Amino acid sequence: MSETDLKSEIQTPVHEPLLPIEKKLVAWSLGSGLVLLTILILLTRVSWGG
Amino acid sequence: MSSIDQATSSAAPSAAAPSDATALPILNEDWLSVAIGLAIFGLALGTLAGPDLLGWAVSTSVWTDPGTALGTVSKAYSGLGGFSAFVITYLVLLAVLTGGVALLKANPVRFALAFTAVFWIAYASWVIGSNAYLAAVTPADLQKFGIDWSLKLTNEGGFLVALIAGLVIANVFPAFAERIKEAIRPELYVKIAIVILGGFLAVNAAGKLSLATSVLWRGTAAIVEAYLIYWSVVYFVARKWFGFTREYAVPLASGISICGVAAAIATGGAIRARPAVAVLVSSLVVVFAVVEVLVLPFLAQQFLSHEPLVAAAWIGLAIKTDGAAVAGGGITESLILAKNAAEGVVYQPGWILGTTATVKVFIDIFIGIWAFILGWIWTHHIDARPDGERARPIEIWHRFPKFILGFIVTFGIGLALALAAPAAVTAKLPAAVGEANTFRVIFFILTFFSIGVLSNFRKLWAEGIGKLAAVYVVTLFGFVIWVGLLISWLFFAGVTPPLAG
Repeated sequence: MSETDLKSEIQTPVHEPLLPIEKKLVAWSLGSGLVLLTILILLTRVSWGG
Repeated sequence: MSSIDQATSSAAPSAAAPSDATALPILNEDWLSVAIGLAIFGLALGTLAGPDLLGWAVSTSVWTDPGTALGTVSKAYSGLGGFSAFVITYLVLLAVLTGGVALLKANPVRFALAFTAVFWIAYASWVIGSNAYLAAVTPADLQKFGIDWSLKLTNEGGFLVALIAGLVIANVFPAFAERIKEAIRPELYVKIAIVILGGFLAVNAAGKLSLATSVLWRGTAAIVEAYLIYWSVVYFVARKWFGFTREYAVPLASGISICGVAAAIATGGAIRARPAVAVLVSSLVVVFAVVEVLVLPFLAQQFLSHEPLVAAAWIGLAIKTDGAAVAGGGITESLILAKNAAEGVVYQPGWILGTTATVKVFIDIFIGIWAFILGWIWTHHIDARPDGERARPIEIWHRFPKFILGFIVTFGIGLALALAAPAAVTAKLPAAVGEANTFRVIFFILTFFSIGVLSNFRKLWAEGIGKLAAVYVVTLFGFVIWVGLLISWLFFAGVTPPLAG
């Protein structure tokens, strides 16, 4: 693969629609991340009072 | 072979093996860093039993007279003189690293020649950075050196001088950069430094176990933040707003969110992206890390000097690549300690750097697991092939960054000695760990210089990286930095390092 190939791929990428599984991955990651962070913050407050 | 090329080979264990088994290296860069880091730490601990085995290493003081810049780390070897200590340090590192890269199947002669140039230029940069006009901080320092102004960068401003020297070579003398590339190995250097750092942090932590436990606990938030929040948002932005294919979006999201080069290459391999794509993204990560190291520590000093551990965690979350992040933590520590010292508050050194390193190491631990999860999703749902290879759990271990094991070992030994050894031994421990730490600083210097040499802006631009860079700019400056600051604040606000003495 030449540099020219990469350059044209970056500038005009092939259209790949977001699949349901990708949407699910993004949503679950974000959702579980926010829930876990909330739990960690609460546990930190309880344990160290900070 | 550049460091990024090496990372490609070591982070893609499921790639087809070469047909000639004899061409395989005896060990990889991760294990080499563990071996060298543990050897340095072990030799430094020799002082506890009597012999001072590393006291000859070169150290640098803030100077106005160049003749006083260099010295030995231990007074027991002061008779050697600074320049002899420098030459001995160079020769020992040359021998050890040349032997090491020979085990990686690199060309030892080419490495030795390149390393000579790298070491001398990088260390010269460090010495320049220790000049009093750059490094002196307090009014007492200015008076001591008989000068009336200083940039107040502390002597760790030498890291920035080394970085700039590397940038100049990469962008003004690209032919020379090409000739020394065999020794441009930022990942190797920083991994050795992190292994050594474990012992240093443990000795600090032993004095304040409750605070150390608190920092470790709060560091777990970084894992959630990097993998679950940053990654999903960056991936979505790259796919939806910029229209990148999955092959580009996965390494890009990993590079921006997790840990730069290693994560981009590991997750790129997991979804069967072509290596060239991951390498291109990795180059971009290095360039942005350079920009961040030059800017963020100064912002942290300006706005977060009264919340030192918020600044430390923020640096660990915002700057990608281990080398730039941990070394950026070192610069941040120097700048913040200096500003507080000027206001009469003297914090114990090591805690800011330790917090940045903890955040980074915690994030690194999960690269293999995340790569496996993505590999599993891709091989089962997105790119399932009837006869296709499926992601296997053993790849978690293959992609686990082994240098973290070295960090855990030195941390464990350091902590055990600090807490359980007889008083006569623990009294000598700070000096022993200090000798190892001298080498940690040297490997940081080599890391900074190497990162600079890898950052050829013109070449990256010619590769059409502009649109990838746009994703980086939008997500890093529009999201990652601010969310990192908010979460660092939520977890570390009000937690300060212990006062010195």
